[in-house]
Amino acid sequence: MILKRVIIDRLSGTWMVTALAIILMLPLIIGFALYLKASPLFELQSFSQLIGSSDWSPTNGNFGFAPFILSSLYVTILSFLFAAPMCLFAAIHLTQFASKRLIHVMHPVIDILAGIPSVIYGMWGILVIVPFVGDVLAPLLNIKSPGYSILAGGIVLAVMCIPYMLNMLIETFNTVPYGLKEAALSLGATQWETVKHVIVKKSYPGIISSFGLGIAKAFGETLAVMMVVGNMVQITLNPFEAGYPLPALIANNYGEMLSIPMYDSALMFAALILLVVILIINLIFRYFIYKTQK
Amino acid sequence: MKRINFLYFLVAALILSSCVSKKQKEKTLNFSGAFALYPLAIKWSEEYKKEHDEIRFNISAGGAGKGMADALAGTVDLGMFSREIAQEEKDKGVWWAGLCIDAVLPTISADNPYLETLKKRGLTKEELTGIFIDGSITEWNDVLNVDELREIQVYTRSDACGAAGTWAKYLGGKQEDLKGVGIHGDPALAEAVGKDPDGIAFNNTIFIYDIKTGKKRPGIEVIPIDQNGNDTIDPEENFYNTFNAILDAIAEGAYPSPPARELYFVAKGKPEKQATLDFIKWTLTDGQKFVKEAGYVPIAQDKINHYLDKLK
Repeated sequence: MILKRVIIDRLSGTWMVTALAIILMLPLIIGFALYLKASPLFELQSFSQLIGSSDWSPTNGNFGFAPFILSSLYVTILSFLFAAPMCLFAAIHLTQFASKRLIHVMHPVIDILAGIPSVIYGMWGILVIVPFVGDVLAPLLNIKSPGYSILAGGIVLAVMCIPYMLNMLIETFNTVPYGLKEAALSLGATQWETVKHVIVKKSYPGIISSFGLGIAKAFGETLAVMMVVGNMVQITLNPFEAGYPLPALIANNYGEMLSIPMYDSALMFAALILLVVILIINLIFRYFIYKTQK
Repeated sequence: MKRINFLYFLVAALILSSCVSKKQKEKTLNFSGAFALYPLAIKWSEEYKKEHDEIRFNISAGGAGKGMADALAGTVDLGMFSREIAQEEKDKGVWWAGLCIDAVLPTISADNPYLETLKKRGLTKEELTGIFIDGSITEWNDVLNVDELREIQVYTRSDACGAAGTWAKYLGGKQEDLKGVGIHGDPALAEAVGKDPDGIAFNNTIFIYDIKTGKKRPGIEVIPIDQNGNDTIDPEENFYNTFNAILDAIAEGAYPSPPARELYFVAKGKPEKQATLDFIKWTLTDGQKFVKEAGYVPIAQDKINHYLDKLK
């Protein structure tokens, strides 16, 4: 009887450790596999050439990833600029000023927004955002744009990130002890001063990690962006021009993988860049959280 | 004891269900790939089901490249493919059967201010190359005699697809050489060019013409190709008004090839599944009578015989 118990104990213990180990190993395994698949590319071109060159002509064996990396960053930064302030203020209002009823209404709305498949965001982008950018915003600034642009991609991405960021921000603000708020108010601080100096300050790590989550999500989003961003290989600062983010590159050209030599390695390298950038984003935000907690 | 009985029951259910699903798998055909072939594949699957109601179809469109990649990876039974099969793909052991012919046509918006002039004058292959590949023609007044400065907005396909491959081949390039804003999928490209008065693109015939009315879909127009280069569209070059006229022109070779091209089913090696072989055989025999009504040009009988030989 005792033996049986010991065996079961051992078994269940090792099970848990293996499960954890597998999960911890996953990013490493994925990264390693991508590196292996991408490595033929490194013999063809140097790493700095791959990252820095903007010459993309796979049939001639030229793989310059700069336009894709820059497009990805541009779209992500734009979406962050749109989404972050909106989420921050909405979350403050919901947790500090809004009535209970509004919060009850908002929670399902956020969940629904988070659950909508990205192809629907993409369709909505084509039907609403692309004409809005092309026919309303661009003429307003006296620019000619077909609407399929980095700006359209940024707006669609911003909408897609909102539920994730908002949800996390609400959770964060809700964890601020009520006593802290009461203390601040009893010292004569106004509502706004309390929010600014107590609530936001106390939730700093949470705010940063929610922003990090939003950026990582925006950087990796594929389908919806691909449908509205215009997919043109070029380096541009004008948000009304078309861009070509990394995930779109992989998704669009997955089919050419077999007919052009080295193309599969190039796509794997694109995937590797994505993985590394998302890792870096996470590390930076981890560092910020660590700093603010100290 | 009860528990063990329950376990046995579960295992038995699992084994049984796996048997059923295997049988079902034998009777389910999965296709993916070219947008150009998608409507015909749907039509065929509907007609085929009338005779063989045990067969199920899963058909999805995602561009010819996806069809090829899926077929070679073995995730679908047949890939739908709409450009010439590249040597690299043949080296990977692709098996194919031709089915029918369609074409890629240059398109503009029906709101284009120079529509009437363009219809009378057409564009030559060199001018189209200047617009789509060289970038040497960027404004309408580079080709038409107009005073206004209006930029041409070029649209292309972003997904790896047969239409872009075939169109680029006609203009002497590869898909990656085509300039312009990349749109994902043929229907979305037709929509985008139809909306932009300065837009120019290329579409598969089936997405330009309405099969029911035989006319062009609202909003989209075709630029006639000036094949002899005399800056006018002669009566023998003018066959773009109705679906039937362009199909006849493709069949007779009056419309050049490429951009007219054969459409294929592809697979990794000769398909082993009996249901797949039966279906391909049916498409090449009884199925051919639906080709014309679905808006495609049938292939020549000797080619059909050749592909039927490949099935044996």
